[in-house]
Amino acid sequence: MRSFEISGRDEKGRVPSKEMDARIQAAVKGGEKHLTIDADGQHGIGGRIWPSEEGVTLEVNGYPGQRLGGMGMLGTKIVVNTSASDDVGWVNCGAEITVLGDVSNGAHNAGAQGKLYVQGGGGARCDTLTKFNPRFAPVESWYFRDVGDSFAEFKAGGIAVVCGVDPRNPENILGYRSCVGMVGGTIYFRGPVEGVSEKDARIAELTDADWEWLTSNFPAYLEAIDRAGYLEELTKSKEDWKKIVSLTPQERVSKGAKRLSMEAFRQGTWEPGVGKGGIFADYLDIDHTIIPYVVTGENRRFVPSWDNDRYAPPCAYNCPTGIPTHERTKLIREGKEDAALDLVLRYSPFPGTVCGYVCPNLCMESCTRSIFLSDPVDVTLLGRLSIDRPAPAKEKARNEKVSVVGGGPAGLSAAYQLALKGYNVSLYEGEDNLGGKIHYCIPEDRLPGEVLSKELSRFKELGVDIHLSTKVDADLYHKIHDESDAVILATGSHSPRTIPFPGYEHVLPGIVFLKEITAGIERDLSGKKVVVIGAGNVGMDICVEAFNCGAAEVVAVDIQKPASFGKEQKMAAARGATIQYPKFTDHYDFEEKKIHFTDGTYLDADLAIISIGETPELEYLPKEVDLDRGHIRVDSVGQSNDPKVFAIGDVTKPGLITNAIGDGVRVAEYVHSLITKTEYEDDKRTIVPYEKLSFEWFDREREGGAVSCSTEGGKCMSCGSCRDCHICEHSCYWNAISRVEHDNGTYEYVVDSDKCIGCGFCAGVCPCGIWELSAAG
Amino acid sequence: MESAERLDVNHQLGLSDLPYVIQWNDAACTRCGRCTSICPVQAIEPGVYERRVVESTGSTPLPTTVRKVGSCIKQVVDINRRCIGCATCRQVCPNDAIVPVFNPRNKFAWHMNQGGEPYKRGGRRNETGASVLDQLKFTRISMLTDPALDAGRHEFRVRTYLGRNLPPEKLPLKVDGGLLLPEGMPFIPPVREIFPIRIGGMSVGALSPHMWEGLAMGIAYLNEVENIPVVMCTGEGGMPPRLLKSPFLKYFILQIASGYFGWDEIVHAIPDMQCDPAGIEIKYGQGAKPGDGGLLMASKVLKHIAKIRGVPEFVDLASPPTHQTKYSIEEAVAKMVTAMSMAWNFRVPVYPKISGTRTALAVLNNLARNPFAAALGIDGEDGGTGAAYNVSLDKMGHPIASNLRECYLNLVKIGAQNELPLFAAGGVGKQGNLAANAAALIMLGASGVDCGKYIMQAAAGCLGDEHNRCNICNTGKCPKGITTQDPRIFRRLDPDMVAQRVVDVFVAADKELKKIFAPMGRSTELPIGMSDGLSVSDAAVAKRLEINYAC
Repeated sequence: MRSFEISGRDEKGRVPSKEMDARIQAAVKGGEKHLTIDADGQHGIGGRIWPSEEGVTLEVNGYPGQRLGGMGMLGTKIVVNTSASDDVGWVNCGAEITVLGDVSNGAHNAGAQGKLYVQGGGGARCDTLTKFNPRFAPVESWYFRDVGDSFAEFKAGGIAVVCGVDPRNPENILGYRSCVGMVGGTIYFRGPVEGVSEKDARIAELTDADWEWLTSNFPAYLEAIDRAGYLEELTKSKEDWKKIVSLTPQERVSKGAKRLSMEAFRQGTWEPGVGKGGIFADYLDIDHTIIPYVVTGENRRFVPSWDNDRYAPPCAYNCPTGIPTHERTKLIREGKEDAALDLVLRYSPFPGTVCGYVCPNLCMESCTRSIFLSDPVDVTLLGRLSIDRPAPAKEKARNEKVSVVGGGPAGLSAAYQLALKGYNVSLYEGEDNLGGKIHYCIPEDRLPGEVLSKELSRFKELGVDIHLSTKVDADLYHKIHDESDAVILATGSHSPRTIPFPGYEHVLPGIVFLKEITAGIERDLSGKKVVVIGAGNVGMDICVEAFNCGAAEVVAVDIQKPASFGKEQKMAAARGATIQYPKFTDHYDFEEKKIHFTDGTYLDADLAIISIGETPELEYLPKEVDLDRGHIRVDSVGQSNDPKVFAIGDVTKPGLITNAIGDGVRVAEYVHSLITKTEYEDDKRTIVPYEKLSFEWFDREREGGAVSCSTEGGKCMSCGSCRDCHICEHSCYWNAISRVEHDNGTYEYVVDSDKCIGCGFCAGVCPCGIWELSAAG
Repeated sequence: MESAERLDVNHQLGLSDLPYVIQWNDAACTRCGRCTSICPVQAIEPGVYERRVVESTGSTPLPTTVRKVGSCIKQVVDINRRCIGCATCRQVCPNDAIVPVFNPRNKFAWHMNQGGEPYKRGGRRNETGASVLDQLKFTRISMLTDPALDAGRHEFRVRTYLGRNLPPEKLPLKVDGGLLLPEGMPFIPPVREIFPIRIGGMSVGALSPHMWEGLAMGIAYLNEVENIPVVMCTGEGGMPPRLLKSPFLKYFILQIASGYFGWDEIVHAIPDMQCDPAGIEIKYGQGAKPGDGGLLMASKVLKHIAKIRGVPEFVDLASPPTHQTKYSIEEAVAKMVTAMSMAWNFRVPVYPKISGTRTALAVLNNLARNPFAAALGIDGEDGGTGAAYNVSLDKMGHPIASNLRECYLNLVKIGAQNELPLFAAGGVGKQGNLAANAAALIMLGASGVDCGKYIMQAAAGCLGDEHNRCNICNTGKCPKGITTQDPRIFRRLDPDMVAQRVVDVFVAADKELKKIFAPMGRSTELPIGMSDGLSVSDAAVAKRLEINYAC
């Protein structure tokens, strides 16, 4: 065959690679089909020869440079009669390259199509980055001996065959760390390998199809490299051969999942090393399990409890008499209106008189509705509705005798309570009427006379031995003391306090003025100017009465901001009374009818009345009973230092009528406990914190006007006392709360701890503040 | 003063004053109470709302009133129950109806000293900007001009040495007949080959049993399964004897600190130890809170902690800021290094850890003259802690970068670089860049780094951040169950998951370190002090650290 010869050297010396390539391309263009190249280190020989129908064959002698057959094309056939340098068949696109010697590093790097037949072995990084293109047959690389390190890195396609004949490294014919990053293609090899990248590829047995392909392609290869004699040895047994294929994406995933699980490590390594249950097992007696964030039962951090009546409601707490208005309203809500109106009579004989009229109603002032909605439960209404209700039934009559000295609110309260408990009660009153200051000192404007009469007659029906107009003196005191199991002193304070300023003898004590009026002795104050020294509530009552007597002008003075409040002050102001303060009286000029003050001012005063309080009159009391600044010294339940003698009301310290009644209730309970030798228990509950109540459930009273038993019952927020409204039950998302009714008619709300997560919704929504969420122990 | 009327909100803070404000979606909420049941600080609670609208539909005012009352979730406006932003409420909410939102204009700092008690917390310095470590870039990228390495393809040896690396001439060995033989009864310093990122000291007590065991198990897995020799320091507070006597002790550095908690149990266990510990760390200071000492609040001293530490239950456990019987750092280091070395017959590397300070050099020079000192740990200001005064956390301490750098350069000056390894800590991974921060410190001269807060965040989902989110580690109410001894909370945390994440973190960091070292052409030894690879776009920082300025 005619061969076109191209030499790598000419007269100028070595032909540059560029020139060599130009000559080869020109020869092929000129129609040459067979070229013989005498290479002298030129690079890229035999590449980019675009296919021609018959193909082009290059025979290379001498010393080819790098990238022989680089970008070789289909139809190009290159035979190198010596060894080849680096990167033979680089980006081979179809050339068939035969090297009758060794190839050094990087053979078939990025090869995509074509063939590389190597008679010897390969250097490092052979068959790296080989490609896969379905439009063409796969690239093939055949190595007769072995290959160097890092073989087939990032191999993506094609077939490599490493025959392993007379390898340079008999322990490992694929070199150090082959197949790193291999994602495709197949490597057939014959001989020992190690360090194949297991995370990328796996070694497998040859299938029949593999063997078929291999054996059918071997003759051509061996022929090409002039080693036909090896055919039998190389193809004698399929078992001599193995192949390497890349892991499929699925295999990679499952190989990753095969990482030793921590569970397995714990069981297989950790616990055998440290002991069952882990390193803290000696100290912890908890379950070795994981719990969720939201938990029930004993894993809760907080637990709710239905603490009904744990706290006192503000009304009952602040009522000196201790009337549980919330219990009345509960009965009203339950439709037991009569029972509700009767309930108060267990605490006070004067619900109409006191709650209904004269009391400043501390209950209403502190009512939660008053705080948040400005419209307290109308306790005055409830009090008045009880005027016609009978006293509770008396308990069984007892033999013990208790004497009460003083028929004012304190004495009446004590006598009432003890009579209800069945005691023989004797009541001694110095005046000829019962009622004390209620009777004598409250103007008709503030308290219709018939209200008190009605309530006094209810009292009188109890069978108390009443001694009117019986002023107890020292002798009578001793008699009473001797014949009674207990003596309760409730003689009040009736001695007016005065200030000994010049002219004070012309000043009328307020209590005298009021008693006169009650007795029907009416002064004619027509056109007169009246000054009242002392602008407390009694002073306000005096102002009103003075106007009733015809006074033209009434001024109350005080040394400080007046202590009067509520209805008394409003009524006085409505009548035209004015208050001046601070005014310290200097003297009263009775002749000029002027009262002078230390600041140099004066007021006209046809009549001057002083109302700065009263002190007890205690002439009857033996010296053995201790006093405290003019009052009888008693402990919190009214007991004096004589264990048989008790004192209540104003005789112990100045107070409201309701304080006096409350004293009566407590002393009666205490005396009863002493006589019956039972335990006396005071209500030690604290007031319910307003924050615990959800007032939002209630609206302000908007209709106005008509209030009735039922409106007030509904209005009451039932602070601290379950309203039985089921809001907790409804609000519990987990259905952990249920209402349980007991045989005795009581009920409670209970929590199923297996359902409860301790969220606190029950406590957060309860209108009454019953539910408590506390840290679990 | 006495109030004239019932006071309402006069002295309460407003919601706008609080650091986190709860946004609650009425329409989406089912009132299931999951959120209120888990709120660690009871910052939210169920309540009742009233809505009242006056409507008129006609052409003249004809009002009708629509009133609606219902249950709701309310945020508690109380500084002691302030929302901490942990967002566990959102975590458990089935409808995504609730979320705390950070309020950048909060007034918390002005009110956190209620009752005259300065604010205490856990976490780290509340500084949100990028730290110097995060500003450092690796700018010496080798292309084909240097031998390029491929992190995915090449083999790397990412290892460092804990222990005194004596140069050949200093080793007490002689060559005799072609053999290397010891001279007499020499002291050959013990050296451990370890992964250059360690888990810094976090104590049993500070951490819950599930958290601590999770970390320990992860460490064991890394060593036994992944062949990555990560070690972990116990922190002060001892170690459960079960672990002391286990074959895994070799992966742990035992810390001794000024409270000496737990050391009697450790000493008792020495005869039963199957192996030596990886090292002994003598804690002199904690970078997160220099001068503050250790503090384990009484609420966290439960039975198991009390036993391991050797103290009564439910007492506040203070580690004093100083070692009580040592009167100078020189004396302390000399005594302690020798004593602790002796405990294991000089087979275990013993080194002090100090907080980052301007005077670190003095300690270093002292150590350089002490043949038994195995290393120096320097803990910078951005380290984390379970309990400290806020003022110590935020304002005390020294940034690690320049402190470490000057120590390393001093070692270079005296020719002892790499002989006395430096371990740097404090803010490693503060912005989540564990490997990058570690590599930066290594290239500034550290032989290795410690991480603590990062590992809590990465391995157990610690919620703390520099907006003071959560940071209630000191209270024992950690919503994740990381820093609590209450089983009702720590049983939320699965130790296996923690361990798995520890493994993930270090396997990934190993890869990231390779990604950083590969382009720099380093694969066989760590680029310790290879500061020509670093650049920073801040000229002052560049000058101070003696590295390249690039912009």
